[in-house]
Amino acid sequence: MVRSTYEKRVARQLLLILSPSLLLLLAFVIYPAVYSVYLSFTNEALTGAAALNPRFVGLRNYSRLLHDAKFWNSLFVTFVFVVGSAIIGQFVLGLISAIMLRRDLAFKQLFSSIILLPNAAPEVVAGFMWISMLAGGENATLSRIVMFFGMTPTDWLQTFPLTMIIVVNTWRGIATAMILLTAGLSTIPSEVYEAARMDGANPSQIFRRITLPLMMPTILLYMLISAVSTIAVFGLVYALTRGGPGGATEVISIYIYNQSFTAFQLGYGAAVAVVALVISLILGIAYVRAMKVQV
Amino acid sequence: MTDFALDKPGKSRRPDLMAYATLSLISAFCAVPFFWVLLASLDGNAQLFLSWPREWTLNNYVRVFAEEDGARWVFNSLFVVGSATLLVMVLAGLGGYALSRTRAWWKQPFLYAILLIRVLPPTALVVPLYKILLTLNNIEGNLVRMVIGGDHARAIMRWIGFIDGYLGLILVLATMQLPLALWIMKTFFDGLPRDYEEAAVMDGATMLQRIRRVLIPLALPGLAAAGLFAFISAWGDFLLPLILLSSPELQTLPLGLFRAFLRVNTIDYGFLAALAFIYLMPAVIAFGFARRFLVQTFSGGVKG
Repeated sequence: MVRSTYEKRVARQLLLILSPSLLLLLAFVIYPAVYSVYLSFTNEALTGAAALNPRFVGLRNYSRLLHDAKFWNSLFVTFVFVVGSAIIGQFVLGLISAIMLRRDLAFKQLFSSIILLPNAAPEVVAGFMWISMLAGGENATLSRIVMFFGMTPTDWLQTFPLTMIIVVNTWRGIATAMILLTAGLSTIPSEVYEAARMDGANPSQIFRRITLPLMMPTILLYMLISAVSTIAVFGLVYALTRGGPGGATEVISIYIYNQSFTAFQLGYGAAVAVVALVISLILGIAYVRAMKVQV
Repeated sequence: MTDFALDKPGKSRRPDLMAYATLSLISAFCAVPFFWVLLASLDGNAQLFLSWPREWTLNNYVRVFAEEDGARWVFNSLFVVGSATLLVMVLAGLGGYALSRTRAWWKQPFLYAILLIRVLPPTALVVPLYKILLTLNNIEGNLVRMVIGGDHARAIMRWIGFIDGYLGLILVLATMQLPLALWIMKTFFDGLPRDYEEAAVMDGATMLQRIRRVLIPLALPGLAAAGLFAFISAWGDFLLPLILLSSPELQTLPLGLFRAFLRVNTIDYGFLAALAFIYLMPAVIAFGFARRFLVQTFSGGVKG
């Protein structure tokens, strides 16, 4: 009897010390998420008649989405951006770095520190640095490199905007991929490799038949989490191109921002936000299920 | 020589060379942009292009503080992000302990919820968030004016306002870092044996005494990791200050840098590079300290 009142008191105290966190998350994350669903059914705006007197418009924002070429463009751009930078760029370079750094090389620490560096750069600084690398004219770094190989320089962010933001985001995320994949590689027992080598397998066979299949669970988790975090990228692209030229780099977070704070259409912006929230949640749920969290 | 040859058969020498070459290429890709910021910030005649300074100078750094409001931007960033980090450490320390020790029904739903919250794109939340903060700000503003009168209301609201005030940005920045921090602390407390606490309970210590005397000292490494990741992420954030701040007195480093860059007609690359380097350094230092926690935190997220 005494025991159970004591336990009840402890349970109450635990809930009490968790409650400030709970309150903040409810007020500034959960409530806004629910509120954006509500907003997406209204014609709420920052300026004009709708600003004073917002009305419930049912599914009108969503039917407008279906016919909005700029919305479909931003979904497409987001898709290419995620596949190009997270699924291909960061993954390939991260995997190569992880595999190479397993060797007992000199300067191993130096290499991995340098690869980690871009991850530390704040979004705006990263954007600013790459504006220099990718500028037009013959003196910009990328132009000098391609001229060295006998190709013609160009104004990179104007000519290949989407490719360039993929390059920059790849640069920023190699380290994350490298760290996750290194952790995955270290779970493969070395006996497996030895046995394969005894059987006369060559390095590329070992990679295709052993490393890749055994790494599949880690790779899948990496793909899900990096896809989700790439959908959320805003500051980096905003600092580099602000979605331009002509919507070529208008990923979904930039499109939401532009609809809400440039076009002042909060209700319509909220409908786009709900689409982004749903896509992220689907990937997030897949992630949580795939990692089989024991909570 | 022979020992060496036995350890490393001749065959593996060539792959080593290839590894060096590949890693050097990847490292060059990662490092070159940083060279530009560093060199341009020390160049008396800095250009948009990477070049070796002909005239080395610290003048660009001096100008950040003497000619522009650099000192204020640095103070604002350190104050806002520092306060948010402290708040995250306190809340996540308490909350993580509760999540680790409780057996209540809400444990599992709450943990799934914070994992899912981490995937929500902040841009999708900012419009409703702005409206909520605006409502809170208006209520608070009226209260402040009622209590102290309109004269000092603006000065006070700059500190405790939800929109265009320190408090609002601190609370929102902290909230965005909370899910990861709670997860780190929960995992950390899971690994701490309960014996110590039970001994403290036997000695008749209350919950608060247990937390202060037993758990905080034990939890310091976890708190350090949670705090460092919160600091790095909040320090680099651009979206929230962009939306929540408008007064020049409240500008933080990312806004100062972004807006200085937008003055298209008079772009001063030396000044911008010095400002960027000042903004970069705390993040790099924090990252250096966070390095030993990176693997645990990232792979912890994967393996659960």
